[in-house]
Amino acid sequence: MIRLRDVGFRYDAAGASAASAPVALRQISFEVPQGGFRWLLGPSGAGKSSLLRLLALAARPTSGTLEILGSSVAQARRAALARLRRRIGVVHQDFRLLPDLPVFDNIALPLRLQHRPEDEVRDEVHSILDWVGLASRATARPPQLSGGEQQRVAIARAVIHRPALLLADEPTNALDEYQANRLMELFRDLSGLGTTILVATHNDALIRRYPAHELELAQGRLLRDG
Amino acid sequence: MAERPGLFTRWNQARRADGLALRRALPDRLLPLLVAAMAVLAALALAGATGAQILSARWSNGAASMLTIQVPDPETPTTTAGTTAHLTRSDAVLAALADSPGASRVHRLDKAELGALLAPWLGQDHDFALTLPAIIELHMATGTQADATALARRLNTIAPGTLIERNAEWGERLGRLADSLHSCALLAVAIVVGIAVVLIAATTRAGLAARRLPIELIHAMGATDGYIAGRFARRTALLAFIGGLAGSVLALPILVLLSRVAAPFAAATPTPTPASSADWTMLAHTLLATLPTPLVATLLALAPAAALIGWLTTQATVRAWLRNLP
Ligand SMILES: Nc1ncnc2c1ncn2[C@@H]1O[C@H](COP(=O)(O)OP(=O)(O)OP(=O)(O)O)[C@@H](O)[C@H]1O
Ligand SMILES: [Mg+2]
Repeated sequence: MIRLRDVGFRYDAAGASAASAPVALRQISFEVPQGGFRWLLGPSGAGKSSLLRLLALAARPTSGTLEILGSSVAQARRAALARLRRRIGVVHQDFRLLPDLPVFDNIALPLRLQHRPEDEVRDEVHSILDWVGLASRATARPPQLSGGEQQRVAIARAVIHRPALLLADEPTNALDEYQANRLMELFRDLSGLGTTILVATHNDALIRRYPAHELELAQGRLLRDG
Repeated sequence: MAERPGLFTRWNQARRADGLALRRALPDRLLPLLVAAMAVLAALALAGATGAQILSARWSNGAASMLTIQVPDPETPTTTAGTTAHLTRSDAVLAALADSPGASRVHRLDKAELGALLAPWLGQDHDFALTLPAIIELHMATGTQADATALARRLNTIAPGTLIERNAEWGERLGRLADSLHSCALLAVAIVVGIAVVLIAATTRAGLAARRLPIELIHAMGATDGYIAGRFARRTALLAFIGGLAGSVLALPILVLLSRVAAPFAAATPTPTPASSADWTMLAHTLLATLPTPLVATLLALAPAAALIGWLTTQATVRAWLRNLP
């Protein structure tokens, strides 16, 4: 479960004074129970990616309190934060695959960071490669893949370790309708298994097809929670 | 069967598994080479330190605490007014020396000893026509410093013309020289270690910059600082170990040569000539046997020490760098 109280966030722009630094989020408060699903909506620049960044513990809030999977982030030690991060899966808007690692090893990263035995890693990665339809591309490098294929690798990497919190930033923008629908089925299954999920998207057709609780942002403020 | 990769493949896979690609981040060329060069320097400096210490110990203990006293016309009676009994000059000096503070042993060389001493000049078959001065060895108790000038003044009032020779003087000078050589050598070792730390830190930072993206990514995925620092540190420790090993192998012949040159001064073990045997382990054994034990220990410690310095430096550098990540 996640809980935010009056969370504010400002990028500390190098060179700019604190006052002129862009404010990405102001006074955000909401909760998502364990296994809950939320659409994260809002126009470009509204702060969706910034909010996901805070939830992924890739940045600390400038103000307010943030609780992730039952731990208060402000008080957590570095090692505890690392432990929390291993329970989070993220599909980045720009994928963030490692270009010099084969698809197989990119997907295996979360498992290897958990020091899982190689046999297990191999089985898990092969089965998820089958699921995303990339079994034949296991040894390819990400730059040799199409945009949609890269996005599926990013999705596979985000879910392979069955995270307790899944954050997806525009996870369908390079997918066709069929793949997007399959992804939504996966999200539904994971949510049923107790994974808390937030999905930022501009894909109105998808939102109509899969109506769910919505969090709407505009200019860094939360407009709607329902 | 292609299904199950061999142990080596799997090990290899695990090595690049986390995307840090340390073999590219910290290449295996420059660092071992530089560490090897520094290990040779350290070995030479440490050899200097060891040698200086051995020489210093020798020179400041052996002859240092002995004075040689020459009394001319030893059998002539003393002319000093104060003395009642008619002692010979040599007996008077011996008596005076016996109650001088700090004297542990007073020994007058007898005829045979004198003969042996003078044999190089006078030949073996001697029959001294002239009266030789009495030669008295005064051994000082350890820790006491004989005040040679005061003693000379006192003895000259008893037996004018008495000479005192301080064997210690040269030994002390050489001992002081050896001590300062020892300090210089230790300073050189400290400087080499300092340069190694700076070099390894710089290499590590370059490696971190080169692998910034994957580091940030696995950090975001929950890799701990300890994990990332450990991966880098094991790599530099390995490279430094290889460099240290190469350095100690390179330093070995130089040290053997040096210790042979220094052997007569240290009067250590006789240096066996390495047999022209084709057996390399025998040869290595013989070579090591010519080195003083502390030096062999130093040589063996070089590679582990380099590895330790590499490991510690990289741990500190990587952890400091990671502090900039959330
Ligand atoms: N790294 C950054 N440094 C400084 N400002 C940033 C940074 N990233 C985003 N911003 C600013 O923060 C605000 C919110 O950006 P954010 O990326 O969260 O928007 P978004 O809702 O994800 O938009 P989009 O739908 O286009 O992805 C924007 O004004 C943006 O310019
Ligand atoms: Mg965005």
